[in-house]
Amino acid sequence: MKVLAFDGYACSILSYLILSTCTHHSVDSATPAVRNIPAMHRLGGVGLAAFERQQESQRSFATLSSELSKAQVDHLQTQLTQFRTALARFAKSHRDSIRRDPTFRHAFQRMCASIGVDPLAGPRQGGWWAELLGMGDWQYELGVQIVDVCVSTRERNGGLIELGELVRMVGKLRGVESGVITEEDVVQSIKTLQPLGAGYQMIDVGGGKKMVRSVMKELDDDQGVILAEAQAEGGRVVEEILVNRRGWTNERARAALENMLLRDGLCWLDAQDERHGRAYWVPSAMRWDE
Amino acid sequence: MQMELTPNTTPSGFLLPSIHAAPPFFTEQPTPSTQSLFADHWIRLILSYARHRRLFILRIEDAEGPGSDWDEILRNERINRRVLPSYLSSLIAVLVSKELAVYEPAKQTRSVLLLWRQPEEWAEALHVWATASGQLNTILTFYEITDPPIPSPLSGLPIPLLRKAINVLTRSGRAQIIGVADGEGVRLFSGTK
Repeated sequence: MKVLAFDGYACSILSYLILSTCTHHSVDSATPAVRNIPAMHRLGGVGLAAFERQQESQRSFATLSSELSKAQVDHLQTQLTQFRTALARFAKSHRDSIRRDPTFRHAFQRMCASIGVDPLAGPRQGGWWAELLGMGDWQYELGVQIVDVCVSTRERNGGLIELGELVRMVGKLRGVESGVITEEDVVQSIKTLQPLGAGYQMIDVGGGKKMVRSVMKELDDDQGVILAEAQAEGGRVVEEILVNRRGWTNERARAALENMLLRDGLCWLDAQDERHGRAYWVPSAMRWDE
Repeated sequence: MQMELTPNTTPSGFLLPSIHAAPPFFTEQPTPSTQSLFADHWIRLILSYARHRRLFILRIEDAEGPGSDWDEILRNERINRRVLPSYLSSLIAVLVSKELAVYEPAKQTRSVLLLWRQPEEWAEALHVWATASGQLNTILTFYEITDPPIPSPLSGLPIPLLRKAINVLTRSGRAQIIGVADGEGVRLFSGTK
């Protein structure tokens, strides 16, 4: 229900904006153009008089041009003000729903994106969220919690965490009363962390699984494959899996696994594996129930 | 292999953390950062289990075969993994380096006395118990302290640990070691504190 009503409103904002653009254009910017036309007709004259006329017409053009741009800027300003007023009115009247209801929040984000407004960018720190919704804090808070979870689990998972796990742990950190957090919220928030250069990045390991990397470490293709296999196996990877399923040589499989273990600390060693003696476990792909 | 890593309660009623269900937890890790994480987990586990069962001594032999007091944590039959003696040996070294255990007897490294309470805490417990049971200013044998007719917080305390606790009290003038007929005894005073 809410979403439907909301989309309807989004459409009406859009159509309102388009309409107002058209009317303003015909009234404001067309008039000064007509007033400054006369000099234009006799450009083909001869002699000194012609030269002066040309000079004069150039001046008029310059005036016309600046008047035109001024009119356009004014017009854009008016448009922007109107748009912001509409967006603000909308955001204010639906503020509670935007904060509380993730579906509604994403519909709002989508609307903002479709009309080319980034709710996080804006004239003030915190952007539109902060200005219109008091949501700047909300995004910051979520960002801080994401960093918190990533850092506190880093020694256990080597700086690589499965997105679902991250969402679950952030949710746990926030408690029940602060509302539901979805994967989209977290993805959005990770994007806002990017300018910090802390290396937070989403990695698609295939099979619909996403991981969040919180350390400045380049993962090579082989490691990506190992992560994907680990996801499928509840965390356990052995050479044989890579050889049989991916057609790797034993040497390549062993080298990639040992690198992951020793160089990157991204997996753990199990030296008591019943079938292979030596198995590698990727903690970020293991299913922890704590 | 699909498995959930869940906490598990042992027959003795001890709650094992979920990492205890992870096969690699029973292997000494070649990556130092991982090993230090594992060692922290093991130390916490060993000390809290010792407290739960009032165990004071840990030996490398405890990892050598089933039947030891420590089987519930040094082995996980559900995943068929166990701590090997060589791994337990290095965990014991970490315990000693963090002053959470002392080699007992001294001059060997195969057996430790666990300090899941520091000697200062045992000293306080001893003083509180002697005060509450009206045994200040009388001579108590070590045996009377560690094996009292009514079980006390000090029941079963190993003599070397009792001696450390008494030393703490002696330094603050609250205890005096006295030779008695069949060995040693102690007299406790109320002291300033």
